Amino acid sequence: MSTRLPALGSLVVVAAVLSALPFTLSDYHVALAAQVGIFFVGVLGLNILTGYSGQISIGHGAFMAIGGYTTAIMSRDHHTNLVLTMVMAFAICFALGLILGLPALRLSGVYLALLTFALAVSVPQLPLQYSTFLGGSGGVQSSTTVSNVWLYAAAWTCSAILFALAWLVLRGRTGRALRAVRDSEIAATASGVSLPLYKTFAFGISAAYAGVAGSLFVLATNGFAQPTEFSVTLSLQLLIGAAVAGLGSLWGVLAGAAFVGLLPQVSTSVPVIGSAHGRDVVFGAMVVLVMLVLPGGFAGLFDRLRALGRA
Amino acid sequence: MAVNRKKVGALLCVLAVTAAVAGTAAASHKGTPGVTKAQITIGGTFPLTGPASLYATIPAAEQAYYAYVNAHGGVNGRKIKDIVIDDQYDPGQTPTDVQKLVEQDHVFAIVGSLGTAPGLATWGYLNQHKIPQVLLATGDAYWGNCVHRTCDKTNIKKSWTMGWQPDYPGEARLYAKYILQQNPNAKIAVLYQDDAYGKNYLAGLRTGLGSHTSQIIATQPYTVTDTAQVVGAHVGKLAQSGADTFVIFATPAAAIAALATETAIHWSPLTILNNVSANRVFMLLAAKNGASLNGVVSTGYVESQTAQPNLSGMKLAKKIIDATKNTSLETSFSEGDNNLVYGLGVAWTFVDALKHAGKNPTRASLMKALRSLNESKKNANPFVYPGMSVETSKTRTFPMEQLIFEKWAGGATGDWKTFGNVLTSGH
Amino acid sequence: MASVESSPLNELRGRSGPLGAALDPVVLLLVAAAIALLVGCLRSAFFAQLTVEGLGLGAVYGGLALALVLVYRATHVINFAQGELAMATTYVAYQLMQWGFSYWEAFVATLAIAFVLGTVLQLAVIRPVQHRSVIAAVIVTVGLFILIDGVVNWIWGGNFKFMRSPFGTASFRVGGVTIQHLYVGMIGVVLACVVLVWALFRFTKLGLGMRAAALRPAAAAFVGVRVEWMLTLGWGLAAVLGAVAGLMAEPSQLFLTPTLMQQILVYAFAAAVLGGLESPAGAVVGGLAIGVFLTLVVGYVSAIGAELQLPVAFAVLLAILLVKPSGLFGKREVKRV
Repeated sequence: MSTRLPALGSLVVVAAVLSALPFTLSDYHVALAAQVGIFFVGVLGLNILTGYSGQISIGHGAFMAIGGYTTAIMSRDHHTNLVLTMVMAFAICFALGLILGLPALRLSGVYLALLTFALAVSVPQLPLQYSTFLGGSGGVQSSTTVSNVWLYAAAWTCSAILFALAWLVLRGRTGRALRAVRDSEIAATASGVSLPLYKTFAFGISAAYAGVAGSLFVLATNGFAQPTEFSVTLSLQLLIGAAVAGLGSLWGVLAGAAFVGLLPQVSTSVPVIGSAHGRDVVFGAMVVLVMLVLPGGFAGLFDRLRALGRA
Repeated sequence: MAVNRKKVGALLCVLAVTAAVAGTAAASHKGTPGVTKAQITIGGTFPLTGPASLYATIPAAEQAYYAYVNAHGGVNGRKIKDIVIDDQYDPGQTPTDVQKLVEQDHVFAIVGSLGTAPGLATWGYLNQHKIPQVLLATGDAYWGNCVHRTCDKTNIKKSWTMGWQPDYPGEARLYAKYILQQNPNAKIAVLYQDDAYGKNYLAGLRTGLGSHTSQIIATQPYTVTDTAQVVGAHVGKLAQSGADTFVIFATPAAAIAALATETAIHWSPLTILNNVSANRVFMLLAAKNGASLNGVVSTGYVESQTAQPNLSGMKLAKKIIDATKNTSLETSFSEGDNNLVYGLGVAWTFVDALKHAGKNPTRASLMKALRSLNESKKNANPFVYPGMSVETSKTRTFPMEQLIFEKWAGGATGDWKTFGNVLTSGH
Repeated sequence: MASVESSPLNELRGRSGPLGAALDPVVLLLVAAAIALLVGCLRSAFFAQLTVEGLGLGAVYGGLALALVLVYRATHVINFAQGELAMATTYVAYQLMQWGFSYWEAFVATLAIAFVLGTVLQLAVIRPVQHRSVIAAVIVTVGLFILIDGVVNWIWGGNFKFMRSPFGTASFRVGGVTIQHLYVGMIGVVLACVVLVWALFRFTKLGLGMRAAALRPAAAAFVGVRVEWMLTLGWGLAAVLGAVAGLMAEPSQLFLTPTLMQQILVYAFAAAVLGGLESPAGAVVGGLAIGVFLTLVVGYVSAIGAELQLPVAFAVLLAILLVKPSGLFGKREVKRV
């Protein structure tokens, strides 16, 4: 997001709208709005990694899986408070993200993308092999389930907290260091920026965000964590969301989250193509179109509009 | 601070969208959901696509039957509307689909849904909301009692959930008996789906073998989304164990892969196949992929269009299917597709129960009717195997409890030949 | 990103002479592995069966990997949609067969259609973005992945379809070893296509132009090579290879479904990276190696079920990348600062 904090006024209005929504929408639509909130968290994290430190990851679905399974297992076995499980998911994924960041240092660009892709593909296979603890293909069911309104509140509260955290982290030295790494690793090193430190940190924090998104995601599917929920498609959705969001704008991330959270649902009602396939055809076509027309994502669009507004 | 026009514009857009969305919030309903003067709306989740999509003829057959009933006046003047949703056999997707059926389509009951894991993922929600989840297309023991699985911790009684077909453990127990009869020293290898469905069968097989359980020398789970090549690798491993009896507890695609691999690696044990994958259509597909099928054993409980074409039920089936030609329900039903007959049988039972649920059916009256089914003698279900009954009572929670053994003969163009007597799978 | 080692001319001719190639440690390693495999096959029928199956599957992985490498070399874009495109063209073949064409007639027609599809896609959606931003191009291919999958599901449905296998279901029996005709066919057809592509690059002017456009676009433009068109042709050729991979993969999966190439794409990525993303030979060898390795591991190591193939493949890939980050046959890129 921009180092310029969005005007306080607009933040207040957003908060007001978000608080009012559950009372005006049907339960089904509240669930949809909660989905957008979940993707907001995930896309925000990935945006930090991809947009700010320039490392591509097609594997954050794996971290969502880890976060989601953490919640389900802790709830099933120890009846842990759900919010506490989300904190645990944050911590565990942060640690794992740091660990993953280490071999990632040796790889760059395409090779890193493929490593993360490998992760996305492999992690969901683990429950199948270790089915006693991880539930196998039958999945893990948490002991408590939540209502859509609870989910909505949790998702957007997390979004708010994590957005504030991201803003705090990125406005200072860390943000500058990450941007330096993205723009030119060589120049950054020459200026004394510790590449390993910041790159692994970016991995860790983005993984932590994905973990929280994963916890919420599992709660959204009746508290049921299952390997098929965390397929590669999920990682691709996060990446699409982050790319469509573009860099440097809160509104961009919101647009990106809405894009991946809502568009597939909305496209089921496309008339000619029929529900199940209409979704994929429309969503896929939209992704292609958006990237052709807006290679800088929605952030780029908003920047241009902002520039126009000032001219 | 100057007002930024762009920001205000964006906010207005957000508010407009909110208003539009709020405006489409559904109206509340009075009376029994899904029942109007002219129509009863039911729905179910089925694998129309995805790894279990070979079962897609089942909902098509059910809809064909309802169309037939509607063409003859419906039930008590009401036409039946059946909404079929594709959940791809994915229990992660089913809850959302079921919620949609209940909250958006306001169905009267969930009828015929296919899949053990999908059923387990949704029964809590449906029972909590007292919505019938009936005539499920799965034979899991859960639908009848809590013996094989510890009952839910939250102690929700699953009294709104019911199956139709004979239960899997009972079927497996019959196979165990048969194996020991044929070869008391059999060395058994089992391929089973690694979820509640497959494990249910395996547990039944073990129970049936009793003290001979140790004769199961190799078991190999597979995941429903595995490719044919992976299933083949599993079968290869089982063949390495030296077993002379091979039991397959799988969904059709994996069963076909297993049968084809068996032949390809020149392994010829006594092969037993669970009946939901023993549809003649699937067997023919396996043969096209190189499986030599002669001698494969399974069980059946519905009539066969190819083996018993002259039964009145089969003539009725032909009539019903022919009536779907050139309508939106037309599906390419192959001759001898047992799942077609299965679907018709389930739909017949639903209509039978509906007729007994009173002039103004409620969900409770439907359940009462379903719990006191008596489709035998004069009121026999025309689609089930002759002599088998579809009954429920306080002491009988599975509508169908009988099976007949069958063996494949005739190779790539053959068919199942029943042998022996009608047996009770019992539980 | 200039490579400091060999001169452009040598790059175009291939490695620095045959002797240099023979002494490359990677080549020696591969030769040793091949000998070990041969010995294993002679000693155990089970080993031989697994190896043949592994080579068959590996040929498919290698074919698709080659397609990925061709595209990457030319445009530095990882085409996520390569597998789905291959799957879609397989459905085209299915449809042609439904309309009465014989298998091989449909095969040839499909390759032609694939070529056209590949070039059209490059022109329509890749060319506009490939120079602006690599990540945008990659996301476009992700969008194509979803779009093509949706279109195939829409036109043909997601149910199982059956295609007559061109090689039948019989097997050779050679001294106690059962070798399915299918695997021999898979290896044969894919390798034949790879050889044809190699010949195209090596012996024709067009091939030389394509290589030049990929390696030295600016210099190639100077000598009159129409670089943009060469890139487009590269995509067309990749689509053809993908179609071959899809057509050969289908019989091994018994049925045609839209998920046909999804797992294979993953293995193809691994193979391409293993071989070094800019090395066509590496992609094919990488594919064969992964195929054989996985079938042997799954066959012999009981703790590793067939579901773990993917994680195992990637664990090994990761290990190799940590030792040799540019893959087996890749060259280290030296960046000038």
